[in-house]
Amino acid sequence: MKKLLLVEDNDLNRDMLSRRLQRKGYQVVTAIDGQEALELMHSEHPDLVLMDMNLPVLNGWDACRTASLDARINGIPILALTAHALEQELKKALEAGCRDYATKPIDFPVLLEKIEGLIK
Amino acid sequence: MSLRRRLIISMLTILALLSVNVGTHFWGSLARNESMVAYRDSVRAGQLSDEIGRLLEDQRQQVLVLATIKETTGDQLGSAEQQAALESIREIDSRIMTLGGLTWNDTESLYQGLRKASQGLLSMWRDFYEKYNEDNVPIDIENPLPYLETNQKLDELKQEQAKLAVDRANIIDRTIALTDRITVLAFVGTLLLTFLLGFALVRFTSRSLKRLQKGTELIGAGDLSFRIQTDNETGELAELASAFNDMSVKLSEAIEQVQMAKDQADQANAAKSTFLANVSHELRTPLNAIIGYSEMIQEEVADGEALEPEQLKEDLEKIVFSGRQLLSLINDVLDLSKIETGKMTVHQEWFNPRLALERLGNSMSPLLASQNNTLILIPGEALPEVYTDATKFRQILTNLLGNANKFTEHGEIKVEMKIRDSEQLVITVEDTGIGMTAEQLDRIFEVFEQADHSTSAKYGGTGLGLSLCREFATLLGGTITAASTPEKGSLFTVTLPVHRA
Repeated sequence: MKKLLLVEDNDLNRDMLSRRLQRKGYQVVTAIDGQEALELMHSEHPDLVLMDMNLPVLNGWDACRTASLDARINGIPILALTAHALEQELKKALEAGCRDYATKPIDFPVLLEKIEGLIK
Repeated sequence: MSLRRRLIISMLTILALLSVNVGTHFWGSLARNESMVAYRDSVRAGQLSDEIGRLLEDQRQQVLVLATIKETTGDQLGSAEQQAALESIREIDSRIMTLGGLTWNDTESLYQGLRKASQGLLSMWRDFYEKYNEDNVPIDIENPLPYLETNQKLDELKQEQAKLAVDRANIIDRTIALTDRITVLAFVGTLLLTFLLGFALVRFTSRSLKRLQKGTELIGAGDLSFRIQTDNETGELAELASAFNDMSVKLSEAIEQVQMAKDQADQANAAKSTFLANVSHELRTPLNAIIGYSEMIQEEVADGEALEPEQLKEDLEKIVFSGRQLLSLINDVLDLSKIETGKMTVHQEWFNPRLALERLGNSMSPLLASQNNTLILIPGEALPEVYTDATKFRQILTNLLGNANKFTEHGEIKVEMKIRDSEQLVITVEDTGIGMTAEQLDRIFEVFEQADHSTSAKYGGTGLGLSLCREFATLLGGTITAASTPEKGSLFTVTLPVHRA
């Protein structure tokens, strides 16, 4: 079973998305902020990270950059989840080291395709 | 020196030189006239002397002839002849008097000599005629001395007059030559000075004008910091230059103002774009939950799973919660838009503010619990009912309590209400949260602004809440102020009129 790390500070979205992913057969670990996400990447070794960008404590962009510099975890693909629909915001996520992104509200089938594509 | 003064001085100088010219001319004429009169007198005196000489000679011949006749024949002289002879003697005397009138200082003594001699001669002749018919004429008429002396004096006078005439003619020539020379010199001087003054005037003026031209060209080309040098000059051109300098100062001020207004407009525009991005972000977050939960329930139904009623109820509540959140956000945006376009209306009614606050506190208790905060409503004095817009009053308090709760964890939120001067309702909301710096405090009431750019990321919100609070407070005739210490907490004070006129 593939393991996903979902990083999301909004309670409802975290609850909803983790349950939907579990229904599709994924094991889901959740984190609330960027700092916790980095810790879980080390301890849980997820196959993929779904990361919201607007996060407390350590935001998504900084968390991505930190992860990409850490040899032990920089192999884990990160997929950005963002409510910012502007082109430049998406570019910013890719520049920070995310492999792909999905815009909220999330098109679930498309998200699943992206996850499968990244995990292989 | 002023242009006018330069011109006036030049003109006066030229006028003075012209006056010298004219004055010299008149003086020359005057001097010439005086000499001409003297010259004419001298010539006339010469002619008169000749006449007198002839008359004297004629008279002497007549006297000698008569004396010879009387000696030889003893004839008597007729009365008419006697009168004619006396008349001619008077005539001679009158001519000599006339000659005296033509005599000038130089010839006065000569004339007096002639006059004395002639008087002796003429009186002798007069006696001769008057006593001619008497037997023994005692007069020695043959004696030539008085005649010769008179004649000699007359000659001397005549020669002197001739000499004077020549002298005067010479003086006239010299005067003419002198005045001519002065006239020419003054004329040349006038020309020279006019040329020099004109040259200096043109040179000075054109130097000032060139500076002005260069300055206006530079200022016109956009170098508004350029100032035309006036070198402590005074006058019209220096005033013009300083007027140009003033103009460039005012121009640069105006441009600065325009630039400032443009910057402000740009900033406002940028803030609106940021706001739009924030609104979009804030709309998408609850939408994500609504769509996500709805799709999940659809999937569960489609998969024919046995739905747990408790779980289903919870999920539906989350959808409703997110929907309401979306609605309140849309309402905030609409309220703001109404206020901006001046279409926000006020509905006043009587209500008890403390009761309204207590109800609000109750409805917010789940939210307060989620952050582990305690809401303390300070009892205080009994409050009268107030007459204002209850909805906006509630919106202000909801916002302030919501903010206090959002930025405080495991803390206290104190709310106090007081009546001041029986006219003002003063509400204070104090928290023990993260607080703000003075710089952040300056901006929190601005539309589209939040204390920090990371605030929206950390705590959500569109930056509309406090702007709306301030707009509402203003609409109700009141004010809202904030004070804060970082890490200690914030204090918001709302003052509203109890009964709005």
